[in-house]
Amino acid sequence: MSTKRRSKTAEFLKHGYLWFILGTAFYPLFVMVVVSFKTNEQYQLNPWFFDAIDTWQWQNWAVAWNIVSTYIANSIVTSVAAVIFSLIMTVLTSYVLARYRFPGRNVVYYSVIASMFLPSTAATLVTLFALLENLNLINSLWALIIVGAAGGQVVGIFILKQFIEDIPKELFESAQIDGAGHLSQIRHIVLPMSGGILSTVAIMKFLGVWNNVILPLVIMRDEEKFTVPVGLLYLEGEYVKQWGEMMAGYAIASIPLIVLFLFTMRLFVKGLAAGAVKG
Amino acid sequence: MVDYLAKHLRILAQKGRLWVVLYFLMLPTIAGMIVFDYYPKIDVIVMSFFRWEPPTVMEYIGLGNFMDAAADPLFWQSFQLILILLVTNLLKMWPAIFAAVALHRVANQTHRYIYQVLFVVPMVVPGLVWLLIWKSFYDPDFGILNRFLNATGMMTLLTWMDGTHDAPGVMPRISEALQPVFGMVINPLFGGIWSFLFFGAILATLASRGAPHESRGGAVGWMLALPAVWTFAFVTGLGSTFGGFLVTFGVSIFILYKLAVITGGFWVLWFIWIAGLCAVSFHKPIYITALPLVAVAVVEVLYRRLEYFTARESARWTAWMLLTAASFLVVFGMIWTHPTGQFIEGSPAWLGNTDLVIPAIIFWGFPWVGTIGVLIYLSGLQQISQDVYEAAELDGVGPIGMLFRIELPLMMTQVRINLIFMTIGTLTTYEFFLLLLGPDGGPGNKGMVPGLYMYKRAFEDGHFGYACALGMVLFFIVLGLTIIYNKYVRVEK
Repeated sequence: MSTKRRSKTAEFLKHGYLWFILGTAFYPLFVMVVVSFKTNEQYQLNPWFFDAIDTWQWQNWAVAWNIVSTYIANSIVTSVAAVIFSLIMTVLTSYVLARYRFPGRNVVYYSVIASMFLPSTAATLVTLFALLENLNLINSLWALIIVGAAGGQVVGIFILKQFIEDIPKELFESAQIDGAGHLSQIRHIVLPMSGGILSTVAIMKFLGVWNNVILPLVIMRDEEKFTVPVGLLYLEGEYVKQWGEMMAGYAIASIPLIVLFLFTMRLFVKGLAAGAVKG
Repeated sequence: MVDYLAKHLRILAQKGRLWVVLYFLMLPTIAGMIVFDYYPKIDVIVMSFFRWEPPTVMEYIGLGNFMDAAADPLFWQSFQLILILLVTNLLKMWPAIFAAVALHRVANQTHRYIYQVLFVVPMVVPGLVWLLIWKSFYDPDFGILNRFLNATGMMTLLTWMDGTHDAPGVMPRISEALQPVFGMVINPLFGGIWSFLFFGAILATLASRGAPHESRGGAVGWMLALPAVWTFAFVTGLGSTFGGFLVTFGVSIFILYKLAVITGGFWVLWFIWIAGLCAVSFHKPIYITALPLVAVAVVEVLYRRLEYFTARESARWTAWMLLTAASFLVVFGMIWTHPTGQFIEGSPAWLGNTDLVIPAIIFWGFPWVGTIGVLIYLSGLQQISQDVYEAAELDGVGPIGMLFRIELPLMMTQVRINLIFMTIGTLTTYEFFLLLLGPDGGPGNKGMVPGLYMYKRAFEDGHFGYACALGMVLFFIVLGLTIIYNKYVRVEK
């Protein structure tokens, strides 16, 4: 009896702690939604909870949408393009590294891996900026796409290479005998089998490019070319703050990723766990 | 013969053609990697030897930038903030560890999956959105934080603790009341509060070392080696030159590693040691040698008079009491010494006041549970077999005992991984400070971290070359840490 009671308290404590953590962690999002329906005066009067529904300021969302939608479009274009390019590069390289032994293979492989262990500091941003300036890519979405696609392929190549190595060699060989070239081998063998892993890699890449703040902040000049993070900073930096519109803007900016998350939840949790184990 | 050669040539040509095709397939990756990953990093090295102020100035000046960096007070001051952040981030790791353990102990599979998903969700919202919402919390007039403090009456409490210039509140008065303690006890005995802390750390190190026959001399030796190196560096003036500082730093890290091994991998002490060393050497270098000697003497006497295990326990308790007392004194006697005058209006500007910036940064992101961290811990916990739990249960270990005797020791690998990420992240991150406080690091440069200082020198002042030199310094510090971690901190994958 007594052990049962104790385990009940323990259970309560566990769940209580987790709910407390999750509650406080999610509280900012709650505030965001609440405030997005208020004018500054309403926010001043009652920051804690929703007002009566007939006083909700739906136009905050309309105003915010007008501002943020361009940024979202830019961000989607940039992230999707970067993901596609990055996936193509990753698949090609992992395929070659996994299937063939050739002079210089280890050099290529280890320099890919080593790029992860060379920490990049703020100073790399300085030289990268100078490089982009020389390439005439300042104030261009292409810069974000190229840098996003080229950088940080390590994890993808690492995971995918191992996966392709585990595919039976006979499959490739029989395809080769049937006259399939490299590209058709990739298309008919690698791609169908590695769907799950590829989507995890793609999601990670998408998140990375989408959340990149500093690079677009440094190189983007025209307002119509801002990506979401820069746009939000711009919105936040206005002199007289319209809190409701700002919060609505933040909420709208979060929606694309949330939608993506809803469709790929399982991959997400699995991918994160796999990434976490790999360290 | 000719046939043979021709055949080989043909095979080679065939192979060569294959290799060309392979390299062609990898070309995008290789080119992208070289141009956008390696080139900027190498360019940092090259450009750190140049005075480079685009678009006009570009001249080779040798080590000039590094000389300037060694004498740049703001750059070194930025490392003080890093020190504070390292210590607080170390404490902030605990809520995530507890959350992972609680999550792991949830019996119901479905519940656990739901929690796991919920823990992932915060990652889906862009980091910048979190940052901006939290920034709005700190707004003096509208911010939720001030509203909350006012609504719950905590603002009155803070005002009372703070006081005004004419009538200082409780905290400044406590600090004043503690002055005699500093003046009459701590300063004469220990040479300052930092030495007091340091003394406690040494005692704790000694107390947590293994059984007495194992490398007893070793621990003492290494412990004395560290102060010796630092004293040497200071007496000869080596520590104030740039290269000398780096060498001293490297040697210290090595000795710290040795100490950590001897003391059974009690990594927390690293930070206390480093903090103690830095702090003491700024004030009274002589105590750096004296204190370890006294501590060794105290522990040896204890060991002589008492049985090994009781002596060890008592030494440990003394050490923790000293450390607690010292931290208490630091908090009450040194931090809040003057009224800030910010609370009385009911709207303190957390991010706009020199005294409040650092507390605001430390409180930022409460409850400090990061998704990735929790998942890493969880992956460690899931490897603990059920037998261990059952055996412990038979031995009558309670839930809290389980935490300290089973779960924490068995997830040490994951804790170390997170520790590595945390240290390197703390050293290199600057985005947060830039977005929150601007390129100057907020009022009085209080929020200036090394990375932010580079950003400021490059993009605000236009000194690209100098920023590269600073980047090299930081790079070597981080690289040293990474090498040490990879080599010595065992991470079983």
